[in-house]
Amino acid sequence: MDMKKTGNILFVILVALMISSCHKQEEFDNDPYGNFDALWTNVDEHYCFFKYKNVDWVEIGRRYREQLRPGMSSTALFDVCAEMLKELRDGHTNLISAWDVSRYWIWEQYPKNYDERIINQYYLNFNYKQSSSIKYTILSNNFGYMYYGDFSGAIGEGNLDNILAYLAASDGLVIDVRDNGGGFLTNVEKLVRRFITERIHAGAISHKTGPGHDDFSEPYDYYFDPVDDTRIKYLKPIVILANRSSYSATNNFVSIMKCLPNVRIVGDTTGGGSGLPFTYDMPNGWTVRMSASEITDPNGVVTEFGVEPSPGCKVDMTETEMAMGIDAILEKSFDVLEMMINE
Amino acid sequence: MKRIYSLVFSLILCMGCNIAGAQNCCDSLKRDVALPVISSYMVDFGGASVLDTYLSPIRYTGLNLRIGYERLQAMKFNPEKWINQLEAGIDYSPAENPAKNHTIHTLMVDLKWGMMHRWRMRQVDGLQLFGGGSTQLRGGALYAPANSNNVVSVKINWSIDLTGMAVYNKRIGRLPVTFRYQATLPVLGVFYSPEYGESYYEIYVGNRSGLVHFGWVGNRFALTNLFTADMHFGGTTVRIGYRNVTETSWVNNLNTQIFRNSFVLGLCGEWLSIRPGSKLSEKARIISAMY
Repeated sequence: MDMKKTGNILFVILVALMISSCHKQEEFDNDPYGNFDALWTNVDEHYCFFKYKNVDWVEIGRRYREQLRPGMSSTALFDVCAEMLKELRDGHTNLISAWDVSRYWIWEQYPKNYDERIINQYYLNFNYKQSSSIKYTILSNNFGYMYYGDFSGAIGEGNLDNILAYLAASDGLVIDVRDNGGGFLTNVEKLVRRFITERIHAGAISHKTGPGHDDFSEPYDYYFDPVDDTRIKYLKPIVILANRSSYSATNNFVSIMKCLPNVRIVGDTTGGGSGLPFTYDMPNGWTVRMSASEITDPNGVVTEFGVEPSPGCKVDMTETEMAMGIDAILEKSFDVLEMMINE
Repeated sequence: MKRIYSLVFSLILCMGCNIAGAQNCCDSLKRDVALPVISSYMVDFGGASVLDTYLSPIRYTGLNLRIGYERLQAMKFNPEKWINQLEAGIDYSPAENPAKNHTIHTLMVDLKWGMMHRWRMRQVDGLQLFGGGSTQLRGGALYAPANSNNVVSVKINWSIDLTGMAVYNKRIGRLPVTFRYQATLPVLGVFYSPEYGESYYEIYVGNRSGLVHFGWVGNRFALTNLFTADMHFGGTTVRIGYRNVTETSWVNNLNTQIFRNSFVLGLCGEWLSIRPGSKLSEKARIISAMY
């Protein structure tokens, strides 16, 4: 083989390799059909609960695409896309434009089951302490009370030491996470580590490994370790208060705490949201957020549709009780704590 | 077995002789040869095109800015035939989506060291060709603030590269100019990539499998082309040029394509360090790495 021929072959191989690594990316037009197809494809390739929810995404896409018209307005296109996304029944799935955010916030239709004013006025007497994002006190019945309203809110280890040192004198603890819509999972770990004495199985995570609906990694078990002995822990009976607005990271917190022997969940089923959301954008600049990575609870259960209260602990707040300044869920938690102490 | 021992012994002996020869060569070089360092400080400004499907399926475009340093020097052991090159730089690219309402910020740092063999082309006066290899470490991140759990895409890459350079020294009028073209092609290495839909939280809780990949031109193709003209105004050299950088990868069903095209503006100097109290011999021959 002469040098020229060898050189040509090497050149062809190099070009072939360049083409193989420079992978062609599908592009969509910035018109109603292009944007719809971009949205549908984003969800098709990344959404993680098609199988769990038995959703036929191809059929849904075909049905909603028929509603498109050339030159339709952006608001009309948004409405069609938003309705299509609602078929996923997922609070983590939103279509975000400059003028609206589509949502499937089913919890808005359930009893609210939380009124901050009732807690502050009738149980805390407007007299409570606040450290970082947590307000806390010891109630007149000697039960501790902590309210954490946002898992995005910073909590430092020093803050937790001070809070739990103060609450150490209580007989039991109420952790209220009602209306907590979620935030950082790292804060879940930070909080749970204060209530355990040994390593616990916190759950399992699996992620998409490719665009196919069945392309998932093996679930990866993850664990939480207790804080070291120089930090303050709380190991007495604990009741978690939850409602339908306890969502996402809060749902994760409740699902892990529920598996601890000294913990009961009181109130309503949580809002769910066990998928980690990822965000992608479309040619017209709208973004779609969707569940892309699945987290199960320590028992391997998907809690996408919520974590139920402990047996016998389901309580709804009635209008009559609320008018009288009674938080029926908090009242129930006192009974449960008394029962746990006497067990 | 005895033959193998003899062979190994002979090889060691030969290497020893070569090293001794090189040492003698260096001793004489120390007296008669000066090896100046070409130091260049460069600023690149131009455009970037960024696609990283971990963050977005849409290609973003925008500015590219780079601050870089380059050091070239002929090597002591054989200064006529070998030079070394050290390069370091920081690239920043704020790129927007076509709708102009989201930005991906790319910040990358790189460090490269290489050796090149020099051939002086007798057929064309002033022309030198170089060929060799380099190794580079490149790392940084793409940050998409509008995203949720896929808010950042970390890039870390170590590679072994082929590199080639052509240098042509020519007077234009009375101005000496050094024209140069250099291409660098990473051929082997390792690089980092999360899996298709893997969150950094999952990595944080301990799942580190499948993150490090063997890289070759089939799954990670990158190429840097650099054209420069160094204009020598007395002791100061002004560099103008053009840099084209391609970085692509296809791994874990994730597609990354980053293209940069920039004008280069730089200041260069050829420096010779002399020990205090000593003087450069009048007979000393100055061997430049490139000029």
